[in-house]
Amino acid sequence: MINKYIFAGALVTITIFSGCKEDFLERPPLDTLTTDIFYNTDAQVLASTAPLYNVVWKSYHDQASFHLGDVRGGTTWYPWGTTGVRENVLFRTTGVTQSSLDAYQAFYNVIGQSNMAIYNINKFAGENVSEAVKNQAIAEARFMRATAYSYLVMNFGEVPIITNNVEEMGNADIVRHTIPSIWEFVTRDYLFAAENLPLTALEAGRLTKWSAEGMLARTYLTRAGVGHPDGTRDQASLDKAKEYAERVINMGGKQLVRPYENLFKYPYDNNSESLFELEWTTTGTNYAASNTQTSQITPFAEIAVNNDGWGGSFGATYWMLSLYDGLIDKGTSPTSEDDGVKAGFTVDQRLKASYMLPGFQYPEITVKNAFGPNKAGDKLTVPDPGTSDLSQAYIKKYVVGNELNGVPASQQRYPNNNYMLRLAEMYLIYVEATIGNAESTTDQTAINYFNEIRNRAGLPNLVGPIRMNRTWNADPTVYKDDVFEERAKEFAMEGITWYDLVRIQYYLPEKAYAIINNQDRGGYVAKPNRFPNPTGWTFTKTSWFADRNAVVNSGNFYLQIPSVEISQAPNLNSPAIDYDFGG
Amino acid sequence: MITNQYPDKVYFSNIPVGKTPIVCRIMAIMLTIIFMQATVVLAQTTARHPVSGKVTSPDGQGLPGVSIIIKGTTNGVASDVEGNYTIEAANTDVLVVSYIGFVTQEVTVGTRTQLNVGLKEDQKMLNEVVVTGYGELRKVDVPGAQTTISSKSIEKTVNTTVEQAIQGRAPGVYVTQNTGAPGGGISVNIRGINSINGSNEPLYVIDGVQIQVDNSTSGSNPLATLNPSDIESMDILQGPSATAIYGSRATNGVVLITTKRGKAGDVRINYSYLYSLQKPPKALEVMNMREYAQMDNEYKALNGGAVREDFLDPSILGEGTNWQKELFNNAPMNKHQLSLSGGSEKTTYYLSGEYLNQQGVALGSGFDRGSVRLNLDNQARKWLNLGANISFAQTNEQISTTQYDIINNAIQLSPAIAVRNIDGSYGGGEVRTNPDGSTSDAERFTPPNPIGLANLVTNEIRRRRILGGLNATIKITEGLEFRTSFNGDFGFSNGNNFVPTYQFGFQRNATSRLTVRDDFSSYWNWNQLLQYTRTFGKHRFTLMGSHESQETTYRATTAYRENFPTNEIIDLNAGGAANQTNGGGQNSWGMESYLGRLNYNYGDRYILQANFRADGSANFGAGNKWGYFPSISGAWRVSEESFFNVPFISDLRLRYETGLTGSQGNSGPIYARLTLYPTEWGNGFLPANYPNANFQWEETKTNNVGINLGFLENRFQIEADYYVKNTDNLIIESSLPWYMGTTGAGNITAPIVNVGALQNKGWSFSLNSVNINKGSLRWESNLNISHFKPKITKLYTESSSIARNAPSWYMSPQWSQRSEVGETPWYFFGYIEDGIFESVAEAEASARPADNNGDPYPVDEDNIWIGDVKYRDISGPNGVPDGIITADDQTNIGSPWPQYFGGLTNSFSYKGIDLSILLTGTFGNDVYNYVRMRNSNPNGINLGQNMFKETLNYAKIGVDAEGNPMLENPGTDIPRMTGSVNNNYGRHTTKYVEDGSFVRVKNITVSYNFPAALLARQKFIKGARVGVSAQNLYTFTKYTGYDPEVGTYVGPNMDNSTSPIGVDTGRYPLTSIYSFNIGIDF
Repeated sequence: MINKYIFAGALVTITIFSGCKEDFLERPPLDTLTTDIFYNTDAQVLASTAPLYNVVWKSYHDQASFHLGDVRGGTTWYPWGTTGVRENVLFRTTGVTQSSLDAYQAFYNVIGQSNMAIYNINKFAGENVSEAVKNQAIAEARFMRATAYSYLVMNFGEVPIITNNVEEMGNADIVRHTIPSIWEFVTRDYLFAAENLPLTALEAGRLTKWSAEGMLARTYLTRAGVGHPDGTRDQASLDKAKEYAERVINMGGKQLVRPYENLFKYPYDNNSESLFELEWTTTGTNYAASNTQTSQITPFAEIAVNNDGWGGSFGATYWMLSLYDGLIDKGTSPTSEDDGVKAGFTVDQRLKASYMLPGFQYPEITVKNAFGPNKAGDKLTVPDPGTSDLSQAYIKKYVVGNELNGVPASQQRYPNNNYMLRLAEMYLIYVEATIGNAESTTDQTAINYFNEIRNRAGLPNLVGPIRMNRTWNADPTVYKDDVFEERAKEFAMEGITWYDLVRIQYYLPEKAYAIINNQDRGGYVAKPNRFPNPTGWTFTKTSWFADRNAVVNSGNFYLQIPSVEISQAPNLNSPAIDYDFGG
Repeated sequence: MITNQYPDKVYFSNIPVGKTPIVCRIMAIMLTIIFMQATVVLAQTTARHPVSGKVTSPDGQGLPGVSIIIKGTTNGVASDVEGNYTIEAANTDVLVVSYIGFVTQEVTVGTRTQLNVGLKEDQKMLNEVVVTGYGELRKVDVPGAQTTISSKSIEKTVNTTVEQAIQGRAPGVYVTQNTGAPGGGISVNIRGINSINGSNEPLYVIDGVQIQVDNSTSGSNPLATLNPSDIESMDILQGPSATAIYGSRATNGVVLITTKRGKAGDVRINYSYLYSLQKPPKALEVMNMREYAQMDNEYKALNGGAVREDFLDPSILGEGTNWQKELFNNAPMNKHQLSLSGGSEKTTYYLSGEYLNQQGVALGSGFDRGSVRLNLDNQARKWLNLGANISFAQTNEQISTTQYDIINNAIQLSPAIAVRNIDGSYGGGEVRTNPDGSTSDAERFTPPNPIGLANLVTNEIRRRRILGGLNATIKITEGLEFRTSFNGDFGFSNGNNFVPTYQFGFQRNATSRLTVRDDFSSYWNWNQLLQYTRTFGKHRFTLMGSHESQETTYRATTAYRENFPTNEIIDLNAGGAANQTNGGGQNSWGMESYLGRLNYNYGDRYILQANFRADGSANFGAGNKWGYFPSISGAWRVSEESFFNVPFISDLRLRYETGLTGSQGNSGPIYARLTLYPTEWGNGFLPANYPNANFQWEETKTNNVGINLGFLENRFQIEADYYVKNTDNLIIESSLPWYMGTTGAGNITAPIVNVGALQNKGWSFSLNSVNINKGSLRWESNLNISHFKPKITKLYTESSSIARNAPSWYMSPQWSQRSEVGETPWYFFGYIEDGIFESVAEAEASARPADNNGDPYPVDEDNIWIGDVKYRDISGPNGVPDGIITADDQTNIGSPWPQYFGGLTNSFSYKGIDLSILLTGTFGNDVYNYVRMRNSNPNGINLGQNMFKETLNYAKIGVDAEGNPMLENPGTDIPRMTGSVNNNYGRHTTKYVEDGSFVRVKNITVSYNFPAALLARQKFIKGARVGVSAQNLYTFTKYTGYDPEVGTYVGPNMDNSTSPIGVDTGRYPLTSIYSFNIGIDF
């Protein structure tokens, strides 16, 4: 019996002492870092802003960037219903259109993560972090935040400004802010960035002072029209736009990449023309950090890395093609019905670098599986549409094929970057700011800058004047907007044209609506005059294709804030107020 | 002689108990020593002689499994199937003959060698013991709500996993099958909804191992490794007096699973075999090829485009491919089960092995399981009892069907595509020629060939699991017991997902790829418990105190390679090194608890119980770590009072209980984690979540009143409970607006917060009756019916509601369910649909969607037109209808929760034949038929997709005699077909909310026990029975999808916090099963 008591006693003793160690109930994550142990060195602080160049933009970049920037802008179209894209072709987007949801989410992710970077660096960065790096990182975050707000305000109009996600979390009194105060907010962030970013990039592709000044040029040009629906832009802002553009051109150390097509031939990342890029990487084949847009726009499965060419239904609009000098030949008849009857051709090299016409050959793209005239291993020849009455001028820009210079890539994981700002825009901003509230300019610097862009594309000099008529008219001898059209050709498929229209809409809304309503966004067939090696193309509008034009007015110009968001934040229904900058 | 190769020191230091705290390790070592000693204990010998006899029930039938114990010892045997027993006993010994439901008899042996005992039924069942948290109690001492399901009823239905056995058998327990896929997950809600964070699953305790089920993202079931045949009983703890002892893990109730254990006596060998045939579901009506072609042509006529060459004359076409028929097949299921049990007076054992193989009715699914279990009990000393149980199981699950959305693909694929082309390759969407020489590539948008995918893809999860424990009970003095137990659960799973290269027309995969995922999880729980039971006079009390610590750790490794030279060798080594990736992940959790219970019984009339538990959890920050969970309950057995004299009422018991339980959510909300993202400049880090330092326990306070009534010597028994549960500090991921950066790539996950309070009122009622008991005919019924009604009572957020949004890639347009004060949690959020516009005048007079300026879209063909959906204008920014359709017009359009659910069992027995019929039913819940929404959009024809036959009746617009536009088929509810854009499929509406009520003939079983007289002719087989059954035989329902039992389906890559509840997204349906089984006892 003694045994029993000893044994029981032993067990009870163990029990009493088995209140396991103190840290038994302290279990920080085992597989991730936490904020309180990070931001301790320069390298860590820079690592905390590096993802602001890719993953946070993902939801916008993947599809919304060109569904809005190009499809809405009228450079690119898509024929089929039942997907959200068609709603952007015809300006019938609603609060449930996918591209609106994606864009809204992405911009606020950029803002949220930028705010958190600022918050955490201020809170955790200790004495081992140099002041310069700290300022650069905060400047990067404010630059990204400003960029996201500028996209937000141009797509959705009035939206709330959030600057501190920790403090404002759960605040149901958040309301939308007015368009002018959002632009003021954007400007202040870019000004801070311009003051605190280095003159040369710390690492290739990171932001510099010139990135911020370039954005200031763009911002002031756009802001000039904000609050001036009467058509007169703010001259002070125009002057600033011109000044910043000129500074970047002359002092930024950047130069145009020649020929134009090299801008989009992989590898092209972080080249001499680039001022700001989204920096995609396939390291670790991380979906969020890779370029997935390439899969969405590559027109043929046979030229993609793994059959992921889903962009075969996208192509240049008839309107876009009509901008290229000489491409859509008017023939002998002055009426528009005869457009494209006679085979046309253009010397504008940007066409082939932006869109594919039947018979174009691309030595940089190798065909993986036979299709059309191509055998496996051939360099790509764009197929002939045959007798079809509906075809596409497929997307070429950013379609990089599957070889990628040996850099690893897989389905929806491409390494190529996307430009967010490049030097060419500075030239065109200078021109536009020079024209300002006039209808044209003969300023020689402006004309020279304009011709820099034209010459690079293989086009002859424009003698001048450069025209920007303020009222749209169907008669091409009366109405001309050289700058808008040049920008469309230069930046097609770079997600810019829609925002150019928003800029026009700020001060000349009727002109913006007229441009859109008169862009032909309908079906056509592009036929080569011979195949292979065509020397011209005819363009015939598809007779059965209805809905060639969008109908846009103040009621559907902007995107609607997603319905889900309105439902969960009914405070967004309240009237917008001016942002309080606190004196 | 063999030398001692393993000196004790070395041996003990190598005991593989993992990295447990040192005290825990010592414990394990000590138990091992005890156990080794126990095996060499010799039986005591006294002067004994064999006594044999038969134990019979009042109707003269032999009673199997009766316990015959020599009084004052633990020596005993159990009677065999015919009621016969043999025991060694001395003349002075007294045999205690006891059996649940019968009055225990004591018989002095004397010199007799033949001793037959006739047991009388115990109407009061006073001594029936039920399993409860941390011990057993006499049933009469249990003052709270608790239900027991015995092995006998479990065995009546075909159960591949344990939770399936609960459905329809326990009042208050709402069981829905999340997926009919073999081995798939089940959702069990005890007493409705108490939490809103996605999981309302109970805590399972399997022989002491606590398992919190959280349906994983793979949709498969973590309990699938258990063999239901090993279960002795399942006790479902519902009321707070029983659950509170599990404190912070018990808000959703507790299911205690006790496995079978051996009984002293002859070795009982049982073999059983089950063969089942599972039938395909009734196909959803989709268009055949003629209808498909006709619709395609109509689309072209309306919206332009050339007619496909092969569709020129639809009338000459055949049926085309019936994809559902190709996908669903009869599927067999086999199960072999062998068990051995028995033992001596000192040691008893139960050993079982099982092999189950189930093919799925849909290609690409299947499940098999092999398991072994050994349960041992040893009376090492008079004062020391040792027990051990261990089970090993391996399961293999094929999950391609659910992971690759194969069922939805089969519904959507065009009937004009062949399963296989003439050359034997799988068919797919192709470029089709038009008569004018042009081509049509609409089929570029069709899904991949589901048959091809199911056959080619390998996607399987293999799990291995060891579950077991050791325990020792020491009787210190009379009534005082110390018990310690160490239980563990170790799981290893391996997932292989291999997609070979394939080409189905447009759908092509040029890169073969393999993803391998290995998970290792471990759990241990060490409990020490002291219990004192004392009876003096009419007072009986039990006092229990216990300490417990438990820990889980989890670790995963994933690896990926692509470009495999063949599709034969599925191993990482066979893949290319380019683009290879790998990943990891781990976490751990720990909890320490102190608990106690006092149970007091006065004269079997007044019963009082008090519980207290304190839990310290690693999930909370300093200051919030400890939670305290008390409960108190009482019962008054009125029928035992001397003043009570109602002849026809044999039992009347009133119960009341009140108590606190809790929920601690998942680990991690207090920490601000960073996520790694690759960048051009090396690894980058972004905040992954908003931390919540103030995160705290969710608490549920329950008040429960109950009554038990027995009539006519308990021939009719009623048990009824009414409860009110108030949950406060509801744990949920906060639903912040998107402007806080909480959705999409690179987002910051919203914080886990204590968001509000919920009230859940409900009742449950069960009636047991013996309708006929005459001669050899017996008819028994059990009816149970339950009701619960959850309501949000408070929200601590600034906004008036919280939303649960399914990701838009999963359900498009985005699906929302909401909770708001005064409403049921997670009601469906959408628009009210009032049919479609039948005239221009109607459209002009109605509210229509509006542009950014608030102006309704014009009535014309390009905007809102005849044949478009008419939404109801119910509100506006100011809460009153504003003449336009906006986000404000969304409202509560349905509730996923039932008003009533229950089951009805009728069992008939006549001589050796048993017939049992189980009906289950659910009433008053809504199901959102998303499959119908997705497949009734006529515009899908333009994307080469098939749809439901009803879509043919889309709104057709013609002109009347005066040339005005009119609807040709008034009354249709399918909108018009239009190439341009309108809003007809952009909103979730009442049209797809269907009544999910159903009554299901869950099971009919007929079994036959071969009579003893027949078996007596040989010695080998002691008992035999055969049975046939039909499961899910018929379902009475108005629901139009495959199956109204939708559950909280968890789709691929979905987590609990966003997966839709009560939405049919094309889940794997439950189908009928016909079975034959045979069981033999040796």
